[in-house]
Amino acid sequence: MTTTTAAIPKDTQGSLERVMCYLKGEKPQRVACFPLILNHAARVHGISVGTYNRNGKAMGQSHVSAFRRYGNDLILIFSTTSTLAEAMGTKMNFFEEDAPQIAESFIKQHSDLSKVKVPDFNKDGRLPVYMEATEVAVKEVGSEVCVSTVFGGPFTTAAALYPVEKITRELITNPKWVHELLEVCTQAGIKFIDEILARKALPIIVEPIGSASLVSPRHFREFVTPYLKRLSDHVHKVGGGMPAVLHICGKTTPNWQPMLESEFDIWSLDAVDLGQAKAAAGHRVALVGNVVPANLLKNSPEEIDAEARVICGKMGDKAGFILGSGCEVPINTPPENVDALINAARKYGRYDN
Amino acid sequence: MTRERGDILKDLMDGVFLMNEELVIKAANEIVANNYDAYDAINNGLIAGMNQAGVLFDKEEYFVPELLICSDAMYAGIEILRPHLKKSDKREQVKVVIGVVEGDTHDIGKNLVKIMMDAAGFEVHDLGRNVPLASFVEKAKEVNADLICLSTLMTTTMDGMATVIEMLKEEGIRDSYKVIIGGGPISQAFANKIGADGYADNAAGAIKVSRSLLAKAAA
Repeated sequence: MTTTTAAIPKDTQGSLERVMCYLKGEKPQRVACFPLILNHAARVHGISVGTYNRNGKAMGQSHVSAFRRYGNDLILIFSTTSTLAEAMGTKMNFFEEDAPQIAESFIKQHSDLSKVKVPDFNKDGRLPVYMEATEVAVKEVGSEVCVSTVFGGPFTTAAALYPVEKITRELITNPKWVHELLEVCTQAGIKFIDEILARKALPIIVEPIGSASLVSPRHFREFVTPYLKRLSDHVHKVGGGMPAVLHICGKTTPNWQPMLESEFDIWSLDAVDLGQAKAAAGHRVALVGNVVPANLLKNSPEEIDAEARVICGKMGDKAGFILGSGCEVPINTPPENVDALINAARKYGRYDN
Repeated sequence: MTRERGDILKDLMDGVFLMNEELVIKAANEIVANNYDAYDAINNGLIAGMNQAGVLFDKEEYFVPELLICSDAMYAGIEILRPHLKKSDKREQVKVVIGVVEGDTHDIGKNLVKIMMDAAGFEVHDLGRNVPLASFVEKAKEVNADLICLSTLMTTTMDGMATVIEMLKEEGIRDSYKVIIGGGPISQAFANKIGADGYADNAAGAIKVSRSLLAKAAA
């Protein structure tokens, strides 16, 4: 394929300016591109994923390096969806070359709920790592690119404090208790939003446990929507014009209606048809997506280019569309595949011709 | 008053399918008290109910919470009935070795597949999560398995599935087993690439794929 390199138009608009166009309702030069570079940033910076996850300065600088390398239009400070729960008492396993995973949920029995508190962002768990990473990235490249910090939504945090197989059952058998747990998780989420906004970054909420691979639209409406809506309301109230951004991995199509009721402005979607999502929700939300993450790891740059081109084609006039990966860019993704994804935005997402 | 066998079986089935564990326990005890056949009650009551739940799961009317509660009811009934099974009830079953590959501890998807395989009447050997890759091969040899089912949610661990297949080849026993893979980042394309026999996109699909592979092997 010789066309892929020859036909890449050069950007004359910077990342931050491009993203601001979306917020101001103006046409950018081309669609923005958000490859969800998370732990992969450690690879770009040449450090272990374990170091990245435990050292705020290293985490922040990894994202600076990734931005310098790729020119992605969004920095996402993140290690796992369980970080809030970790700060509230859940124990994690750490690995040198992989993201942390839950080792032991904090809540063993219902009465443990009384011990679950909104965390202290200056000392609990790895929240100080996230805060420092956010500060480093904002200080170094905040004038060039939007810096965001990503944390688990109330339902995802609850399912990291109490095992997911138990909490899903208790949506049916013990809804009142689940609501009490979600209340504390929501308060922690509101605090997180305040801490991130105070550092001049964009808070992003990720709610994978609300995926339709796990819960029905009925349960989403009862246990996820009301709490997410409090977070989006809070961003709208104190965010100074910042959008409320929601990412849900996996299959979400059956849950789009209750997701809409959560009143977010931007959805980042994974294993769905983005054209369908645009038809169902495009009048209310901007969409980010959705090159298949495993393809970024396994396919060739030419295949990534072709996949991204199909996605851009589905988005019609491209209004309210940001090209991206469906979920986390796999840690060991070849850099040329991230380049191919961003170049696809340069080629197929143009507004200036 | 003694109720008809059919009425009690209906309670077992409805109890599982409608998530009513108390009804299942009551009906299972009634089977025992009346000396009705336990094997029949498990298959035509409990498992029939679980399979109905599986159909609704496939249609996106039931989701994970509903399926888990149905399975709790099914297992509660099996617990009561199992001691009353006769020796002659022991049939030749499809043998499955299942687990989440090394490096990954996310196991809810694997657990759902296990539930549906129990309901399909398979003999399931569950190795759990974060399973050393060689353990799949060892266990499959030990129990003379028909199927090896590998699950993962993470892109960092998906290559472990290819390693298991390579191990089977190295030992010259690749053709002795059908290998089925599934999980978040897994696709039919990946299954083809690593030479797995099948891919399933959800728990109900795993049963369909298993049955079709076994039918082909038998033909």
